[in-house]
Amino acid sequence: MPFYLPAIPGFMRRSFPRKGVPPVAPAGRGTRLLDWKEHGLSPLREYVEVLGVLVVVTVAGWFSPFSYHAYGLVYLLAVIMLCLRVGRWPVLVAAVVSAVAWDFLIIPPRLSFAVLDLEDVMILGTYFVVAIIAGQVTARIRAQEHDQRQREQRATALFHLTRALTGSRTLDEAVGAALRQADEIFGAETALLLPGGAGGLAPHAASSFRLDELERNVAECAWREARETGRYTANNPRAAALHLPLLRAGAVLGVLVLCLPVEVARTSPAQRELLAAFAAQVALLIEREQLRAASQREQLLAESDRLHRTLLDCVSHELKTPLAVLRSAAESLGRETGARRAELAGEILTAASRLDRVVANLLNQTRLESGAVKPQPDWCDARDLINAARRGLGDALAGRPVRIEIPADMPLFMADAPLMEQVLTNLLHNAVRYTPAGSALVVSAGVDEANQRVFLAVADHGPGIPAAIRGHLFQKFRRGSETQGSGLGLGLSIVRGFMLAQGGEVVAESLPGQGAKFTVYLPYTLHETVPHE
Amino acid sequence: MNPDPAKPGVLVIDDESQIRRLLRFTLEDAGYTVREAETGHAGLVAAAHAPPDAVILDLGLPDLPGLEVLKRLREWSPLPVLILSVFGQEGSKVAALDAGADDYLTKPFGGAELLARLRALLRRVKPAEPAGAVRFGQVEVDLMHRRVTKDGQPVKLTVKEYALLRLLVAHRDKVLTHRQILNELWGQKMEGQTHYLRVFMMRLRRKLEDEPDAPKHFQTESGIGYRLVCDAS
Repeated sequence: MPFYLPAIPGFMRRSFPRKGVPPVAPAGRGTRLLDWKEHGLSPLREYVEVLGVLVVVTVAGWFSPFSYHAYGLVYLLAVIMLCLRVGRWPVLVAAVVSAVAWDFLIIPPRLSFAVLDLEDVMILGTYFVVAIIAGQVTARIRAQEHDQRQREQRATALFHLTRALTGSRTLDEAVGAALRQADEIFGAETALLLPGGAGGLAPHAASSFRLDELERNVAECAWREARETGRYTANNPRAAALHLPLLRAGAVLGVLVLCLPVEVARTSPAQRELLAAFAAQVALLIEREQLRAASQREQLLAESDRLHRTLLDCVSHELKTPLAVLRSAAESLGRETGARRAELAGEILTAASRLDRVVANLLNQTRLESGAVKPQPDWCDARDLINAARRGLGDALAGRPVRIEIPADMPLFMADAPLMEQVLTNLLHNAVRYTPAGSALVVSAGVDEANQRVFLAVADHGPGIPAAIRGHLFQKFRRGSETQGSGLGLGLSIVRGFMLAQGGEVVAESLPGQGAKFTVYLPYTLHETVPHE
Repeated sequence: MNPDPAKPGVLVIDDESQIRRLLRFTLEDAGYTVREAETGHAGLVAAAHAPPDAVILDLGLPDLPGLEVLKRLREWSPLPVLILSVFGQEGSKVAALDAGADDYLTKPFGGAELLARLRALLRRVKPAEPAGAVRFGQVEVDLMHRRVTKDGQPVKLTVKEYALLRLLVAHRDKVLTHRQILNELWGQKMEGQTHYLRVFMMRLRRKLEDEPDAPKHFQTESGIGYRLVCDAS
């Protein structure tokens, strides 16, 4: 067990590990909670004590001035007092020995077994009955007390374990906590073996007991046969440690190995019961974690299933709608004459640019996910990027006043221009889609001096971002409004992906009564001044 | 040789027959004669056999990478070459431009865009400007007298600003990569210093554009370079 030097200040306190044993977390009170030794005296010592007390009482009686009748009560007192300290057999022996001593040494004539009269027989008889009953009663009380103490130890041990487990979030943390608790409660070195990759058992990293070849075999045996093995059991009792299989619903989840201090020669059924309860708790913990991991896998599968379904639905819708337009417009174009032809050509152009955008977004998302986006930062001019994005959007911005707010001293910054152009295109397109026709857009840029970064922002005068979708705003295949039926829901996801790839970030704000604002940030490095030549 | 010497000939090297057909419609309507080649090898043979006035080359050919076709062509011919590429190939576009391609178009593109590019490409091989003066918007650049005016008022440019303007004017309506401009103006040691370019471009825009924040003429091609747009159509 670790111990502390009281003179060492708290911050320097260290547990002093035994050689080869990792330091163990300090126990609450510095002593182990479970004492392996039985309380009370050993049987031989009880008899010695009985004899000692009787000798003293008899010697005192030899010289006492009281009548031998009265002195019988002193013997009775001595026997009843012995009841409090020794077991029921020593008490019985004390009763017999004191009766003989009383008759032989105290009742006159001394040094001879006096012939007892009726009165003496009555005293002796009462005396025996009282001694036996007192012995029984106190023995029963003591047994109850012993049981209670063990129950209490067990409850305390399990309480400590549960408390340690509830504080841990991952399986590793929980197992670590459980093993430290075992170390502490049982004063043992412990190990937890879990099924490893290669079909065998592998010790958990938090184990304080290192298993040698022999112990490993014993553990395998406990695992195979699903029963307690090793020391203190009939199965492989020569092993150094006790191996408890962790059973849940008939399945063995692992093996808990406890190497108790060498001096503990045997364990009582109650102690074994405590160990079993402890093992059951650990088994429960592992099962819970396995179930949690399984349910997480299930959730992931369900999520990826949802994504696939959405992807298929969306992609087929988004690709087929413009294709349908293209096809029917082209067919009509063959038949129509005059003014309708120009109209149909316009429809074809709109469908083509929509198709172009869908394909671009799908390609961008795929490039992001496959790690094919490798930004090539170069000096960028915010105005250039904004102009390129506006040019690229073309007719989509028709009828939208766009205000540009860029300070005259806006510096150049490092970014991948094509990626930034796509980011701005997507943000502008997003703003156009989710705000009323004709409402103004504001594109701004500037330097956030405090955080050494530059920003570009697209703000609109629309209804803002509904609280319900803020959580998954930048997730792929999430559209701003499910009822507004079109779009893949990739625009913002790509914005975020491209910004992260460049070491930047994107932040969405919804200003009440003013609309939504998306700001992208990039790290800002100053370039050397360019001379006026 | 060209069947009709009055009509410029264009060789289209693309493996997609539909693209070839549509390019043919567009170009023939605009008064070009068109020849087609389906593969890079066939294209090189066709170009060697009867050099066209310009080549339209798809970067994604099945037999030879477009870049390779371009390099082999450049070994013996300064023919104007217009590159066709798809979205997301900025790197290969720049590589092709630096390897000697004259301009690029990203699929899908419009017919008007294609014809404007082609016009700019063919202008390069025409005889020098008659008056040595070039106009775009309200700006007139008199190359002979090194004079620049906007709305009739003289504009003062620094030496480097004028050099950049002259380079852009000489290649007007054509894209120039960062590397090409930096090489020309500052020499090879400055190739990576694109911030010089951005700053000078900003200064030129402030002096010559009506709305420097929304330039009509000095246009940026993201990730590639710059283009001086003079062609109003």
